[in-house]
Amino acid sequence: MEGAHRPGGAAKGLAWLVALYLVLPIGIILPVSLTDQRFLSLPQEGLSLRHYATVLTSTEWLGSIAQSFWIAVGSTILAVVAGTLCAIGCWRISRRATDLVRALMLLPIIIPSIVYAIGLYRYFAGLGLLDRFLGVVIAHGVTGIPYVIITVSTALAAFDPRLEQAARGMGASLWQTLRWVILPRIAPGIASGAIFAFIHSWDELVIVLFIASRDVFTLPRRIWDGINENLDPAMAAVAVLLIVFTVLLLLLDMALRRRRDAP
Amino acid sequence: MSATGHALALHGLTKRYGSFTAVDDVSLRIERGQFLTLLGPSGSGKTTILMCIAGFVAPTAGAVLLDGRDITALPPEKRDFGMVFQGYALFPHMTVAENVAFPLRVRRMGAAERQEKVRAALDLVQLDRFADRLPRQLSGGQQQRVALARALVFDPALLLLDEPLSALDKKLRAELQEELKALHRRVGRTFVNVTHDQEEALSLSDRVAILNHGKLVQEGAPAALYEKPRTRFVADFLGKSNFLHGTVREAHPGGFAVMAGGTRVIQAIAPDAPRPAAGTPALLSLRPEKIALLGEAETAENAVDGRILSWSYLGAGFAINVATQDLGALRVTLPSWGAPFAPAEGMPVRLGWSATASVPVAEDAD
Repeated sequence: MEGAHRPGGAAKGLAWLVALYLVLPIGIILPVSLTDQRFLSLPQEGLSLRHYATVLTSTEWLGSIAQSFWIAVGSTILAVVAGTLCAIGCWRISRRATDLVRALMLLPIIIPSIVYAIGLYRYFAGLGLLDRFLGVVIAHGVTGIPYVIITVSTALAAFDPRLEQAARGMGASLWQTLRWVILPRIAPGIASGAIFAFIHSWDELVIVLFIASRDVFTLPRRIWDGINENLDPAMAAVAVLLIVFTVLLLLLDMALRRRRDAP
Repeated sequence: MSATGHALALHGLTKRYGSFTAVDDVSLRIERGQFLTLLGPSGSGKTTILMCIAGFVAPTAGAVLLDGRDITALPPEKRDFGMVFQGYALFPHMTVAENVAFPLRVRRMGAAERQEKVRAALDLVQLDRFADRLPRQLSGGQQQRVALARALVFDPALLLLDEPLSALDKKLRAELQEELKALHRRVGRTFVNVTHDQEEALSLSDRVAILNHGKLVQEGAPAALYEKPRTRFVADFLGKSNFLHGTVREAHPGGFAVMAGGTRVIQAIAPDAPRPAAGTPALLSLRPEKIALLGEAETAENAVDGRILSWSYLGAGFAINVATQDLGALRVTLPSWGAPFAPAEGMPVRLGWSATASVPVAEDAD
């Protein structure tokens, strides 16, 4: 910003320290994934891609990646539809009660996921949803709703309510107004929410540990088991792939935001 | 476009928000093809009335009738009224043509017919060259015209305008007033306009309804309201006015005399108008342009001596404040072209006006 105070040396140093603190644990994964050894360690004699090859040829790893992907897709659809409708409903009615509803919808990210997982376990046992694809989709979808509610509510806060009045005044039904006026205006917010809901499902572990065992074996679950059992460096390779995928999604989100904020 | 406006009537329209009464028992008739303006200061309830007509606000009591049919409970999307919103409310993600086509798309009109109508509507407001632009690429005046085209394209029963010109600068406003007036004549539809700008109300409307504190104070043709205000509020809000306070001395058919201190003022009234009783207080409204500066030998039915307190040059005329002994400070406006003298502070002057120049008005209830 022109005319603003320039940061001092101490502030700059501190900022870099924090950045380093955030990046370092991720940074260590990259050399480990390229190790030439057969256990989790830094490269000794040279770099090797063998662990990437292991991951990309192993039916177990590929199966988990596919499973995680489809669970993330399913739960994202669930979270986006439910979250968007809820956010629009709260926005339209806009009373004190709707503030309560909105706060209630944020519960999944407020209460510890282990507590949530125990509750889910009890209900899913009764419903026969344990260790089922659908069960994990529902669990991830519900816990992904808060992200969609937050981003869509933010987009709606910037929506001019007179546009809705104008549409209705010209004879548009609620559905036509939603489809032609409201949704196109808040689409970037919905996309942001979808990306976050996807990432949430993609790297969720705690709930999966409780409600899945053998048939549903997501990627984070396989990494977790791998660490507990055999310290295979393939996990580091998977982790790098995960990070790359997530960063790509975040870049997509940034690009969408930039497009929305353009005049 | 066919020249078939619809008649609208409000019966005892009332809107309360808790203990606050925004609209208080307003009854009004708007004839076919008329241009009616609801005029009032902010908070007078004029916009609430418009929103009740549009259907966005449900009245607490009273009814809205279109051609005699009660539409009070009808939702806005079923009313078929065109509306131009304050700030226009154009859809920012649609082009000008898509904006104008919106009401037709909602009505599931075929593409060919739709295109035809959109073109005609854009022609009407001279924006045919801008069909593919986005609203943000247009100037304020152009956006305003898009809003008008969008409101008229589906041949609405009624056109509602919510402060349509308030966002524009003065010069553009005057230009668009002319256009709006011409447009009203061309399409022959019933227009209901809301504004707080009294000049706009006077120049645009067939009839003006003046509102204050949610109540209808007076309605009529612009000239009738300007010339014969019934209350102090109307005289003050519509144009500028001097107010003369006094006590009725004597009354005759066709006029009465008022004493203000030592000055006697004669006021003409219609021969059949009720005469005020002697000894009651009187309030007269006297427009600044109806006061003349009297030369040495000139006389007038009413005359008073004073001194110029201050003056300003307005291009087309002078506005002069004259201090008088009995009538307080009087505001006088004179055309600057052919003015008998150059005004100067402290200059003694003699003011004169005829008995028909002023109008007796009532004090406002609140």
